[in-house]
Amino acid sequence: MIRQLLRYPSARAALVILAIVAILAVFGPFIAPHDPLAQDGSALLQPPGTRYWLGTDALGRDVFSRLLAGSTVSVLASLLSVSIGLVLGVVPGLLSVFLGRRFEWINLRVIDALMMLPFLVFAIAMTAMLGNGLVQAMFAVGILITPAFFRVTRAAALSIANAEYIEAARLMGASTSAILRRHVVAKVLPPVAVAAASMTGACLSIVASLTFLGIGVVPPDPTWGGLLATDLANLYDRPFGPVAPALLIVATVWALNALADALRDSGRKETAA
Amino acid sequence: MVLAAVLATAGCGGSGDKAAEKARVRWAFMLPTSWDPVTSRTGADINTVSLAYASLTRLDKDGNVQPALAQSWTYSPDGRTLTFQLRDKLKFTDGTPLDAAAVKAFFERGKTQKDSFLRPEIESIASFDTDGPLRVVFHLSRLDYQLPYVMAGRVGAIASPTAAAKDKAKLALWPVGAGPFKMVEFVPESHAYFVKNPDYWDAANIHVERLELTTLSEPTTTIASLVSGAIDVASIGPKRVEEARARKLTVTTAPSLNASDLMINRNKAPFDDPRVAEAVRYAIDRGELVKTLTAGLGTPTNQPFPPHYFAFDPQTRDKWAYDPARAKALLAQAGHAPGSLTVEIVINPLINEGLPELLQAQLGRVGIKSRLRIVPPGSSSWQSEVYIAKRPATAVDGTVGRESPVQNLLAVYGPQGIMNLSGPYAPPAFLKAIDEVRATPIDAPQYKERLQRATRLGAEQSPSVWLFSTPFIVATRSRVKHLNIVPSQIRWEGVTVE
Repeated sequence: MIRQLLRYPSARAALVILAIVAILAVFGPFIAPHDPLAQDGSALLQPPGTRYWLGTDALGRDVFSRLLAGSTVSVLASLLSVSIGLVLGVVPGLLSVFLGRRFEWINLRVIDALMMLPFLVFAIAMTAMLGNGLVQAMFAVGILITPAFFRVTRAAALSIANAEYIEAARLMGASTSAILRRHVVAKVLPPVAVAAASMTGACLSIVASLTFLGIGVVPPDPTWGGLLATDLANLYDRPFGPVAPALLIVATVWALNALADALRDSGRKETAA
Repeated sequence: MVLAAVLATAGCGGSGDKAAEKARVRWAFMLPTSWDPVTSRTGADINTVSLAYASLTRLDKDGNVQPALAQSWTYSPDGRTLTFQLRDKLKFTDGTPLDAAAVKAFFERGKTQKDSFLRPEIESIASFDTDGPLRVVFHLSRLDYQLPYVMAGRVGAIASPTAAAKDKAKLALWPVGAGPFKMVEFVPESHAYFVKNPDYWDAANIHVERLELTTLSEPTTTIASLVSGAIDVASIGPKRVEEARARKLTVTTAPSLNASDLMINRNKAPFDDPRVAEAVRYAIDRGELVKTLTAGLGTPTNQPFPPHYFAFDPQTRDKWAYDPARAKALLAQAGHAPGSLTVEIVINPLINEGLPELLQAQLGRVGIKSRLRIVPPGSSSWQSEVYIAKRPATAVDGTVGRESPVQNLLAVYGPQGIMNLSGPYAPPAFLKAIDEVRATPIDAPQYKERLQRATRLGAEQSPSVWLFSTPFIVATRSRVKHLNIVPSQIRWEGVTVE
């Protein structure tokens, strides 16, 4: 599958970008040239230069260092949301097909209810109830993306639920658990992987939006979205300020979407073959 | 055909509608905590409450008290009775006459209504009486020469007794006063629209026909909203002045009573040890705050007043100057090794941009670690968490001032002061000094000295740390002229629209 994937130029570019992002997320805080929280009162809102490569913010903090330090939180927050969405969406999605009508009905109504919740309002309400922290906000996001995983999983499971080999396994006396493990999970995984890649990109944008609004991240911790918000606030003094964080967000989201597309296309080709 | 009919109807609007459209002003500001002066809670509310309500008195640009609904007032020789003489033929926007009986009914409601926030403000008034249709008499339980000032704000903003009798709760959402404007539309958390009230006692000075109040836009988009014409008037931060001027907006700065502070709660550890609170005072470099955050427009202050105000105490001016070594020594005396003390600072993300992080860094320099906790957006959260429950050990806040300096001192240091995080504690010596000020006529030679002494005692004996003051900074589109800014509020008398 990986060999198939690498045949797509967009997938290769996406993997390179994601590798860079992964390096930034792991080593960013250690390779930052300055302390991302250190304030330099003599260098407020400086343009890019030799001392501060991307300039400084309104409190004299090095923007480049903050960008690097913010990578870890931004990426981890997206992964956390997707993990929560995966657990809450995939398992009920599978079971709703194989555990009878009553279970299916309850699951579908819960998912319908989740889909009706307004995204930002729910995230704000969750942080108001549980406290304003990144984990709480990402938990809210994870719940809200659950329907996407549920539907993808359920659709994939439904397509094979009545396949002859599943019927045969049932007639042979295999339990539901065994059927799920041996025959269903493997078929459901590719579309779920596509959805996960796509949702990671979406979550990165949501993390950026929430931190832009001051929800989730607590100052002075840097995140890409938070940096974007700070830079937009000082647009008059640093007109190029938002370019770097915006570029990182856009590139990462694009890479994740491109990877998801390539995964989907390669999956189709494998099925066709 | 339908379109033609609509167009024809639209065309029949007449010159009156066109004039109203031309004299329309869109103002971005905070909506009040309540449209009923009895249940309104914060000092900033007067800016918007005063659109719908007129007060008994009002302040001029120098902060002196002037006639408004009351054309005069007199104290009895023993100072125990205060009589307001009302103007003739006043009426509320619901048609109810605004006479002595209406004023009496308003204050009696302020005294008795369960959820009244007026009660502490009028506690020196024992009872209310009328002497004819236009004379209201306050019988005082103690001397209080501040009342004419107090009556210039929301305390003296008289609401219709008819509307209150009908549905008190509705007044919080739909004001019925005798102010310069009458509300015609209100969507909570969004906007409130008003039209000019022709029965306002000073209607001749109101040139705005329609005022559209919208919630404060996000600071980063305020200038763009002004330039695009989405709003006409908005307060801006000091660091946006240059940008506003560059984009051809008119920027008006005027003296204000604004002051920012780090509220400290002496009832919560570690601030139950006065040495820790004292250490924080010496840890703060106000000069750096002013330089970094106010673009040179702010002024350092260690009291709840800016230095230009007559209640500012000059004797305290140089106290608690930045001295990190002393701060460290005080912390050591209190048994806190460098880095061993962590405090939580509660912040409001919508105000004080950058201030919490600067304070955090300054505290860090003397070995106090701190983490910031955001109270989520929404005025009710801040109100309930900080002003009412007083849960935080520290919080970054500020005052916009009050019409009376005593009222302001009580708001920040008094037992029921919303900005006194240590409430209901209030320093006894301060309260005694406040009583002395109240008992002193404002034209008495010793008035200023006594007032400044009360400020001094409040600042010395309360743990909260005052930081800096900033002026009113209001950006307007060029069509709006002659802004009327008095020290504690923005008013609309005399404002013209081209």
